[in-house]
Amino acid sequence: MSDDRKPNADRRNFLRTSMLGTAAIAGATSGLFARFDTSAGVPDISQARAQDARYKMAFIQWQPHTVPAAWSKGIEEVLGPQQIVDYELLDGQNKVEVQVSLMDTLINQGTSVIFLQPIDSVALAPSIAKAKRAGISVITLNIDATEPHAAHVEMNHYFGAIDIAKAMGDAMGGKGKVAILNAPPGIIIRDQRTDGFVDGLKQHHPGIQVVADQVADWDRKKAQDVLNTILAANPDLGGAYGVNDSMALGAVDVAKEKGLIGKFVVFGNDGEVAALESIEAGELTGTQYTDVYQQGRLAAAAATVVATGGVPATAFAQQSHLLMPYVIATKENVGTIQPSQRW
Amino acid sequence: MTIRPATAALVLFFAATLAFFSLSAPHFATATNFENLMSGFSFVAILAVGEAFPILVRGIDLSVGAIVGVVGMVVFDLTLVLHVPGYVILPVALAVGALAGALNGVLIVFLRLQPFIATLSTLAAYRGLTYSISGRQLVPGLTTTPIRDPWIVGIETYFDIGGWLGVSKFVTMPWFPLSFFIMLVVFAILQTAVLATRFGRDLYTVGGNYEAARLAGINTTRVIISAYAIAGFCAAITALIMVARFTTSTEALGTGMELTAIAAAVIGGVSLAGGIGSMFGPVVGAFLLGAVLLGLTLQGVPQFVQQIITGVILLAAVGYDRLLALRRQRRLALSLAEAT
Repeated sequence: MSDDRKPNADRRNFLRTSMLGTAAIAGATSGLFARFDTSAGVPDISQARAQDARYKMAFIQWQPHTVPAAWSKGIEEVLGPQQIVDYELLDGQNKVEVQVSLMDTLINQGTSVIFLQPIDSVALAPSIAKAKRAGISVITLNIDATEPHAAHVEMNHYFGAIDIAKAMGDAMGGKGKVAILNAPPGIIIRDQRTDGFVDGLKQHHPGIQVVADQVADWDRKKAQDVLNTILAANPDLGGAYGVNDSMALGAVDVAKEKGLIGKFVVFGNDGEVAALESIEAGELTGTQYTDVYQQGRLAAAAATVVATGGVPATAFAQQSHLLMPYVIATKENVGTIQPSQRW
Repeated sequence: MTIRPATAALVLFFAATLAFFSLSAPHFATATNFENLMSGFSFVAILAVGEAFPILVRGIDLSVGAIVGVVGMVVFDLTLVLHVPGYVILPVALAVGALAGALNGVLIVFLRLQPFIATLSTLAAYRGLTYSISGRQLVPGLTTTPIRDPWIVGIETYFDIGGWLGVSKFVTMPWFPLSFFIMLVVFAILQTAVLATRFGRDLYTVGGNYEAARLAGINTTRVIISAYAIAGFCAAITALIMVARFTTSTEALGTGMELTAIAAAVIGGVSLAGGIGSMFGPVVGAFLLGAVLLGLTLQGVPQFVQQIITGVILLAAVGYDRLLALRRQRRLALSLAEAT
C-alpha cells in the first residue's frame, strides 16, 4: 500500500477496473441468459454448454463472519443459475496452515477458479503460485496477495477511511479528540483503514486529535472494555472510530450506557445490517457501506468469464484490481440502501 | 521389541482410513494428495512427537503452539529486520525453542506448578512476546516482504524419489517434501533415545511413578526439564518448516496447534496418565488426523462435521487408552492376589 498511495493513479486504476468489472458482469449475465435465448449468438458459451462441461469453484474464507458469508451468497447468486458450476465454501479457521492445506486440496481436485480471502498476503503467495502452475486462476477478496494473480476485488479501504474522517470531523464540528478502536496488527486492511482515517483527518480536519489507538480484536465486547478504559483517561473524548462495525457498535453500547448518545460521535466500517439499523435508530453516527453481495457477484462474474472462456491462469500479464464503490452511510442517506442490499 | 496391541490397532485403523477414503473420496488415492498429506502434516507430526515427552512424564504442554509463534517471529526478525544469514538463524531458532520449553520445565519443577497451569501461563506469555517482538509492526512494509534466505526457504524442497528410483515409469509417485525426511530423522533420534538410553528409561519411570523414581535416585528435575525442552525444540523445528512453507511468519502462527499435537499424541497411544507410549504413535496419529481432514474435504463434508468427527476419533482413542489402563490394573491386582 505504501507505494501506491498516489490518489490520481488510484482513481484512474479504479475507473479502469470498474469498467473491466462492468464488462465482466455483462459477460457473465449474457452467460446467464444464453440458456433462455438460443438466438442470442454467443458462440463460446453455447459451445461450452454443448460439451456439458462442469466447473468446480471454491471460496476459502478467513473465518466465519458476516462479510465472507455475504460474499459467498453473492457468489452463489451468480454461479447457481448457470447450472454448470459446483461451488463450495471452505473455512480457513483463522489459520494460515489450514488455508494453505485447503489450497493444496483444491489444486489436487482440478478446481477452475479459487476465491480466496487470504489471512496473510505473503503466506498464501506460494500457494497462489502453485495454483497458477496448475492452471488455476485465483481471485482474492479484500486482502491482496504478493503473488500476482487473476484479480483482486476489494472494498475501498483507504479512500473510504479518508471520507469517514471527513464525515466524522464534520459531525464533531472540526475539533475535539477521537479514539481508534483497531484490529490486531499485521493485517493490511487494518493499516489501510487506519492510515486513510489519519490522513483524512490531516487533510480535512487538522483540529481533531487522535488520542488513542487501541486494539479491540474486531470484537464488540472487547471494544466496550477498551473504550471504557480510554474514556477514563480522556473524559473529554468526542468520538470513536471502529475499524469494523462490530467494534463501532461496542462503542455505541458504551455511549448508551453513559447517556452520551447524540453527543458522542461513532463511526464504523463495513456497513453490515446491524450497523445500518443502529444508524436508523439514531445511535451510530455513520459507517462506510459497501454492497458486499455485489462484491461477491463481481468476483463470481469475473470467475465465470475466466472459466468458461478457457482463459489460462498465466494469461494475466497484469493483475486486475477492482475497488468497490461505497457510500458513507449516515442518518440522512441510510434509507436509500435497499433491503436487498443489506447484509 | 514387542509390538503393543494398541500400536497394532492404530496402524490397522490408519490403513483402514486410507483404504476407505481411497475408495470413497475422489482424488484421494493420487500422488498429489499424498504429497499434500506429507507436506501439510509432517510438521504437525514433529510437534506431536515433541508433545509426547511432557505427556510421558505425566504432564502436558499447552504452550507448544505459542512457542511456534515465538520462534517464527524470531526467524522473521532475524532475516528481514536484522538481515542475519540463514545458517546462523537455524541454530538460534532451535535454541530459542528449547529454552522456551525448558522454562516450562523450570516453572513446573521449581515453582511446583501444575503443568496445565504453568504452560497455560506461558501460552499467554509467549503469544504476547510474539506480538511485542513482531517486526511486522516495527518496520512498515515487512508484512508484504517474503523471506528469501535460501537456508530458510530451502527447507521447503521436494524430492522426486520416484524418478530417482526409476519407478516413475510405472506408477506416478508423489514428490517427497524435505519436511517429511526431517520428521523421519527427528522420529528416529527420539525413538532411539527413549528406547535405548538411560534417559529414556528414566523418562518412563518418572512418568509411571514419580515418587518411586525419586526414591530410586533418578534425577527427576533433569528428566522433567529435558522433556519440556524437547517439546520446545520440536516446536522450533515445526516453526522453521512453517516459515519456509509460508515465506513469512505471522503473530498468530501456531495458534491452536497444541490441541492438534495433543490429540495426535493421545490418538497415537501416549497415555495421559504418563509413562506409556512411543514416538511412533504420535507420528501415525498426526497423519491419521491429516488423512481424515483431507479425505472429508475431498468428499465435500462440511468442516464443522469434520471437527465433530475428529473429536469422536479423539474420544475413542482416550476411551481405548482408559480400557487398556483398567485391564492393566486388573491384571496387576490379580497377580498381586496370587503372590500373597
